[in-house]
Amino acid sequence: MTLPLGIDFEFRKQIMDVHIGSDKIKYCYQCNRCTDNCPVASVANPFYHEVTNWFDPRLIVLGTLLGYKDIVMALAGSKSALIPWGCTVCDTCDAVCPQAIEVTEIIGLAKNITSGAGLAPDNIVAQAKTVFDTAKAIPSQPAIERRREQMGLPAVAAPNVNEVQTLLKNIGADKKL
Amino acid sequence: MTEYKMFEGCVIGNRIPFIEASSRKVLDKIGVQTSQAPFSCCPDPTGMKCFDNTAWLAMGAQNLCLAESEDKPIISLCNGCANTLRGVQYQLKHDSNKKEAINKELAKIGKEYKGSIDVRHFVDVLKENLSAIKSAVTKPMSNLKVACHPGCHYMRPVEWMESDDPLRPVNLKEIAAATGANVVDYDELALCCGNAVAGPFPDHGDAILKKKLDSVKKAGADVIVVNCPACFQRFDTSQRDLSKKFDGEYNIPVLYITELIALAMGISSEDIGIKNHRVRRGTAIENL
Repeated sequence: MTLPLGIDFEFRKQIMDVHIGSDKIKYCYQCNRCTDNCPVASVANPFYHEVTNWFDPRLIVLGTLLGYKDIVMALAGSKSALIPWGCTVCDTCDAVCPQAIEVTEIIGLAKNITSGAGLAPDNIVAQAKTVFDTAKAIPSQPAIERRREQMGLPAVAAPNVNEVQTLLKNIGADKKL
Repeated sequence: MTEYKMFEGCVIGNRIPFIEASSRKVLDKIGVQTSQAPFSCCPDPTGMKCFDNTAWLAMGAQNLCLAESEDKPIISLCNGCANTLRGVQYQLKHDSNKKEAINKELAKIGKEYKGSIDVRHFVDVLKENLSAIKSAVTKPMSNLKVACHPGCHYMRPVEWMESDDPLRPVNLKEIAAATGANVVDYDELALCCGNAVAGPFPDHGDAILKKKLDSVKKAGADVIVVNCPACFQRFDTSQRDLSKKFDGEYNIPVLYITELIALAMGISSEDIGIKNHRVRRGTAIENL
C-alpha cells in the first residue's frame, strides 16, 4: 500500500528485513557519521571541486527508513544512477554507525531492486553474465594457464558450470541478465 | 597439521597468477599445507552481491559445501573471496529463514550447507605463523619504507571478518615489519582504494585513489604493501592515467605481502614473477 505522501509499507518491511534478527534501522537518529566517513561522499559533494555529483548515505537511510520508496527509487530510477551505485562497498559506514546499522546492506537492497528493473551499471551486469556462463568472474584463458604452468602452479580446478547455472536459474537471477 | 582447501579466486587464479606463486612459496616455507577443489566464483561482494543477494548466498554456500564435503577449512588469498565466504556463513548462521531457503535450492543439486567448516583469510594464517616467518627471513627488507593497505574487506564488516580493528588495522603492519621492512604510518590507512566505484563512476574512483596515494606519498613510503588482488590491480594499473589526469607524479610500486615475505626469505624475484608488475622501472622494487 502506498499513501499519498509516497510511504510504501512493503518497501519499509523489505528494508527492516535486511537486518538479521532485528529492525535496527529504526534507531537511526541521523547523526551523519556514515556520510562523514564515506569515501565517496567525501569526493561527491558540492564543496569538492573534482566531482560534483552527489552521494549521501545518511539520506538513503532516512528515505528508506521512512518508506519513501518513490524518493529513493526516483534517485535510483535511471540506468547506473549514482544513488545507489556510487556505494563502493567499503563498509566504513557500518563500522562507524553508533547504532550498528548495516548501511551497506540497505544500499545493497536498493541495488538489488534496481538491478531487477534492468538499471544496474553495465560492468555489474557483465560480471553476472560471465559468472552465469562460466561459473567464474574471470574465466580461464590458455595464456594464463601456460603462465601458471611455467611458474610451477597447479591447474585451477574447473568449476561445475551446470550446478551454478541450475542454482542461478532456479533462483531467477538469470532473468535479470 | 591442518590442510586447507586453497581458494585462489578468479583474479589471482585466472589473471595475476604470480601472486599465487609467491603465496604458495611462503605457505610452503612456514609449513601450511593446501589442496585444490573445483570452486566456482566466490562470488564478488561488490559485484554479484549488489546484483542479487540470493544468488550471492547460493553460490557462496555451494563453494562452502565443497570444502564441507572434505571437512577441511578454506584458506583465501583474496579480500573479496574471504569477505563473501565469511559473509555468507554469517548471514546463513544468523538467519534461519535464509538458510532454509538456500538449502532448498542446494538440495536440487544434491548438496546441503551445514556451516561446519571455517574460512580463513591468508593474512590471519600468516599472523598465526609470525615466528616461523621471522625465523625464515634471510634477507631483511630494511631498505624499504612500506605503507600498508589492508583494504576494506579484510577487516570490514567486523562482525563477518573478526580479524582486526575495522578502522585502525595492525595485522598487516606487524607482518610487514617481520620482514625487516620499515613500516610508515599514514593518515589514510583505512581508506578504500575506490575499485568498486571506479567501474561505473571513474571520476569518483580516481578522486579517492588520489587521496590515498597523496597520503602515502606524504608519509614518504616507497612501496605500498597490500593483501587484496583488487587493490593490487587498482594501484598497479591506474597510476599512469592518474598522473596524466591530475598532472602529478604517481609512480609508487605495489607488493603483495606474500611477495615481500618471499623476497625477505631469499626467494628470487624471477621465481615469483615481479617482472609482471606495471609500476616497477625506476622504483624501489626494480632491483629487489
